[in-house]
Amino acid sequence: MKESTRKRIGEAGLFLITLLVDLLFFFPILFNLMSAFKSNGEIMRDAIAFPTSLYLENFRYLLTETEFPRAILNSLILTAVSIVLQILIIPMAGYAIERRQAKWTNFVFLYFLAGMMIPFQAYMIPLFKELKMLGLYGSLAGPILIYVAGAVGFGCLLYTSFVKGIPKEIEEAAEIDGCGRYGIFWKIVFPLLGPVTASMVVLNGLGIWNDFLLPMLALPSGEPKTMVVEIYRYIGEFSSRWDMIFAGTALSVIPVLIVFVFMQKYFVKGISSGATKG
Amino acid sequence: MGTPASTAGLRIKEKSRRKKSSANSFALIFILPSLVLYTLFVIVPTLGSVYLSFTSWDGISEDIRFIGLANFAEIWQSPRVHNALKNTLILTVSLVLLENVAAIAMALMVDRVRWFKNLFRSLFYFPTLLSGVVMGFVWTMILNYNFGVFNQILNAVGLGSWALDWLGNPDYAMVSIILSTVWKGAGYYMIIYLAGLQGIPTELSEAASIDGANSRQQFRFITFPLLAGSLTVCMVLSTISALKIFDQIAVMTDGGPGFATETLTYIIYKVGFGELRQGFGTALALVLFVLILIVTVIQVQVLRKREVQH
Repeated sequence: MKESTRKRIGEAGLFLITLLVDLLFFFPILFNLMSAFKSNGEIMRDAIAFPTSLYLENFRYLLTETEFPRAILNSLILTAVSIVLQILIIPMAGYAIERRQAKWTNFVFLYFLAGMMIPFQAYMIPLFKELKMLGLYGSLAGPILIYVAGAVGFGCLLYTSFVKGIPKEIEEAAEIDGCGRYGIFWKIVFPLLGPVTASMVVLNGLGIWNDFLLPMLALPSGEPKTMVVEIYRYIGEFSSRWDMIFAGTALSVIPVLIVFVFMQKYFVKGISSGATKG
Repeated sequence: MGTPASTAGLRIKEKSRRKKSSANSFALIFILPSLVLYTLFVIVPTLGSVYLSFTSWDGISEDIRFIGLANFAEIWQSPRVHNALKNTLILTVSLVLLENVAAIAMALMVDRVRWFKNLFRSLFYFPTLLSGVVMGFVWTMILNYNFGVFNQILNAVGLGSWALDWLGNPDYAMVSIILSTVWKGAGYYMIIYLAGLQGIPTELSEAASIDGANSRQQFRFITFPLLAGSLTVCMVLSTISALKIFDQIAVMTDGGPGFATETLTYIIYKVGFGELRQGFGTALALVLFVLILIVTVIQVQVLRKREVQH
């Protein structure tokens, strides 16, 4: 009896500590979202106070008086198109590397993995020269191709390890039924890779949505770039319009939080499977 | 059409040869798009960096002059680069230690807590969803001297005299960046440690507790050693990401005050795009690359050896 009450107290104590630490962790995000609904005066007067009313002026200003909507659109296009291209290209490569176990495919695999070690800064300067030479500088196509190329290493690592787990018999049966290579891959193997694809989509999508340096440098100046880059620019330019910048950060964070709530499983799976295989 | 019996052997041979070459060509078609893009947008520019690091190119003019090892000689001598290296080192060592300690503590809490496990895990993970720019802005506001939350709290609890311009003070700017980055980064590693914790059979700690081990001893002798695999991965990943930190520095301090928070990644950007010395910038970028390579290889070697010992 005594033992069980002690256990109870221990459990309750741990619960309270976890709750406290977690609330502390969550506070900066709450602070960010709260401030988006406050006027500049309110933010400066009492930064911790809850907003007193549903004040939407910051959002209205940002969405009608600035070019932020263009930036939102750019962020959406960059993220969506890059992810779709990654899905069209990378799983196929991972599949072929794993199924065609030849010397040259092993070499290609190592060649891809080597790229995971190269930091973006190590090649960014020549990259912009190259984009200019290819006529891709200043358009969304440049960053999109760079995002796809940059995802090849980690993507192949993920896909090869998962293709390993798919029994070859399924593919052989389909081949006997007269299915071609493309058909086998897209109709039979690819659907089985759904969970990996979901993990890649959410993790890479998040990375692209949040990226700063590449869109800042590769998109034309004088035009709105992506949400993150616009927020950075506003911090420098409108150094006292905190309310408006908070609204911008809220608009960039809220969709991510929503996606996370629904796709949590795939974030967790992607991180832990990438980690154990890496 | 010959009789089947006489040509069967030949046909099988022919078939297997055809099968092999068709297997190769299918694999090539499947791999080719990735291969082309990766080569074009990762490998070619990396090689371009090697070339440009031997030049004094400004990033704009057509004139790319070869200057041999002069850029590397400058790196070797420049006090500004040494300062950036020192800052990078301080930032990396502190971040790796603090992020991993925090991540293990968070993973233990979430693993052991009885109610709302999922909610607690999500709340710890949330900060990792923010971009460096947004996170940098939020913390700039929290640490603001005049109306920031942090100084407000200090005032409220009677420690108003401790209030500081946290990001404007060269002694505290780096500390502020480190702590806010721990806040942003730890949740990611927590997920990896949690996966590690879930792989530890409960019988082990049960047996230990029957033998009279208290919870600290259980952690020291059972849980922590069995987390060795996760530790390796997290140490390597957190080191690489610490060496590459850029966004929050751009937002929170712009490398300042003075050069107090200028790291290697930041100096590459400043030199390359602010001061138009892209030859020198690429030389620095190669130094960063080699640094990451060496640190990672050493870490993997040392930590793997440690894993085996346990």
